[in-house]
Amino acid sequence: MAAYHADDMLAWMLGDAGRGAVMTTFPMPNIAPLIPEMVVAAAAMAILLWDLFLPRERKHWSAWAAMITCAGALALTLKLAAGGPAQAFYGYFTLDAFAVYAKLLIYGGTILAVVLSMDYMKGEPHTGEYYSLLLFGTLGMTLMASAPNFVTMYLGLELMALCTYVLVGYQRDVLRSSEAALKYFILGSLASGVLLYGISFVYGVSGSFDFAAAGQAIAHAGPDARLAVMLALVFLLAGLCFKVSVAPFHMWTPDAYEGAPTPITAFMSIGPKVAGLVVFIRVLDDVLPGLKADYTTILSWLAVLTMAVGNLAAIGQRNIKRMLAYSTIGHIGFVMLGLIAANADGYAGVLVYLTVYLFMNMGAFAIIILMRREGIQGELLDDFAGLGRVRPGYALAMTLFLFSLAGIPFLGGFWAKYVVFIAAVEAGHLYLALIALLFSAVGAFYYIRVVKYIYFDEERVAFNFIENPLMQATVAVTAIAVVALGLFPGPMIAICKSAIAGVI
Amino acid sequence: MLELGFFYLFAGLAVVAALGVITARNPVHSVMWLIFCFFNAAGLFFLLDAEFIGILLILVYVGAVMVLFMFVVMMLHVNLAALREGFLRYLPLGGAIAAALLAEIVAAGFSGVFTRVPNPGHSGGQVNNTVEIGKVLYTKYLLGFEVAAVILLVALVGAVVLTIRKRKDAKYQNIARQVAVKPSERLRKVRM
Repeated sequence: MAAYHADDMLAWMLGDAGRGAVMTTFPMPNIAPLIPEMVVAAAAMAILLWDLFLPRERKHWSAWAAMITCAGALALTLKLAAGGPAQAFYGYFTLDAFAVYAKLLIYGGTILAVVLSMDYMKGEPHTGEYYSLLLFGTLGMTLMASAPNFVTMYLGLELMALCTYVLVGYQRDVLRSSEAALKYFILGSLASGVLLYGISFVYGVSGSFDFAAAGQAIAHAGPDARLAVMLALVFLLAGLCFKVSVAPFHMWTPDAYEGAPTPITAFMSIGPKVAGLVVFIRVLDDVLPGLKADYTTILSWLAVLTMAVGNLAAIGQRNIKRMLAYSTIGHIGFVMLGLIAANADGYAGVLVYLTVYLFMNMGAFAIIILMRREGIQGELLDDFAGLGRVRPGYALAMTLFLFSLAGIPFLGGFWAKYVVFIAAVEAGHLYLALIALLFSAVGAFYYIRVVKYIYFDEERVAFNFIENPLMQATVAVTAIAVVALGLFPGPMIAICKSAIAGVI
Repeated sequence: MLELGFFYLFAGLAVVAALGVITARNPVHSVMWLIFCFFNAAGLFFLLDAEFIGILLILVYVGAVMVLFMFVVMMLHVNLAALREGFLRYLPLGGAIAAALLAEIVAAGFSGVFTRVPNPGHSGGQVNNTVEIGKVLYTKYLLGFEVAAVILLVALVGAVVLTIRKRKDAKYQNIARQVAVKPSERLRKVRM
């Protein structure tokens, strides 16, 4: 490792007085595991500048640059991961199999979001900043996925959140977009404050920001520390629950999903949830293992509430983006079963769920964007009526995504639910699994209702689709992935289990 | 004893100033109260021998951030009467939440947990604050420092993206076009 000696330079600057008084060696930190993140940060800044020199008809080159950056960063991450787990920056950054798998999902989600954006953003102003902010947001998520302590975790979270606030309000002239951004910003700032309050209690009790060290201190805290420890637990959970939209901290989700440009809605439904759940797992497993009984009780109630709110409120929605927002909340409720199980199978189940969710949700959003046309966003359920007759291919793909979201057997979504439900039952939470089963049956109703619109209703609006080969390819790939993961779930589940092996 | 007296002076004035911020009718007065509050907080830092952070608070917050606040307040013409409309209606709920948060932190503080963390006593005159902060900021906390810089960049870009608007009535001068102008564009032969 190269060591950079600063003594000479400082002594030179300070004269003889500085010699002896300041004797410090600045060891060059080990930066190798951070190279993918650095590439993303540098590319995001480069795109910001580069875009200014692009003529209007070549603005989509920025999108290609963003896509290539993500693919390159992903390849670099996988290459670095081959060398085994690594730490960098004095233990402020960790690259283990768990982080690598999460980054696979995060970069995948961003690449798909960029593909979905290309047509949507055509003709919009500030495309360079748009893709740059997408990359910065991705950077924040990857930092969260690699955070072994609260400092990196919180900074990554703020970076991600700030980018999503701006992206939600990107269409300045659309009233609901600005309104959604403002709501999201204010509630998000409040949640960040709550999270920081919790972190300050953890620090007060343990004197450390490191997850493992804080966990040790909390596990061995005496009865007099009980109050402070419980406050830390409650505030940490509340802050994290907001970020992954667990009820009753879900209020922002439907508004932000509906108001955001549709590709951003797709982006928000995957990456931030992956990053948030990775942090959730690390916090539960490293910081709060001494409070397992307490957090299991709290999370169980929240999970039931989240499943109920998500699946019941989705029934009343007429706008498909709002419906998918409540569907996200419902799915997070199911994912929480994996967190509550708190064993290797449960955490692996969370990763399996997120993997399948990436494909089915991105596919569904791709179809929604393809249906956008002059003056009509393709967002109302009525817009889907008669799709089966006009475009049987899209109709089939959408049906597959919706059935998979509903958890119909032998599609990817079924195995996602199966893995977390089984993990919960094995951890002794049979009632919770039964309640989840009940709500997933309720949830199937509103997904299948859309299928009814597609195949059995007369068309009410004239269809006029965007013809974009890249997006059609996305729909095809995600649909095939959902079917393939449904028929052969074995390898994916095995990979997720091996990814979690280093954590627990 | 003298130190304790100064602590209560600075802390008490800081609380009074903070109350002034939220109760002042005139937003400019609010900003002034906030400046006063920062000065007292800086005094508290001085009492802890953290002179660098104290100076920084005065230089950066009072010198730069608050001036910016003042600009914003004067430019925006915030209608405070409209802002205060719901004040009494939301007071019970907001007050209850504030009281609960205060009770929690006080109760946790008195449970004896926080006193176990070493007391920040006097370090003596030999320690150079600036050097010590620099040592940890650019080694141990380097990653956090860099990420914070990226966050500031994103905040800047985000603010510009959300507020920039091309004015339709603005007159621009395109120098390249002016230089490249041809006689045929300006001159017209007329047969009389």
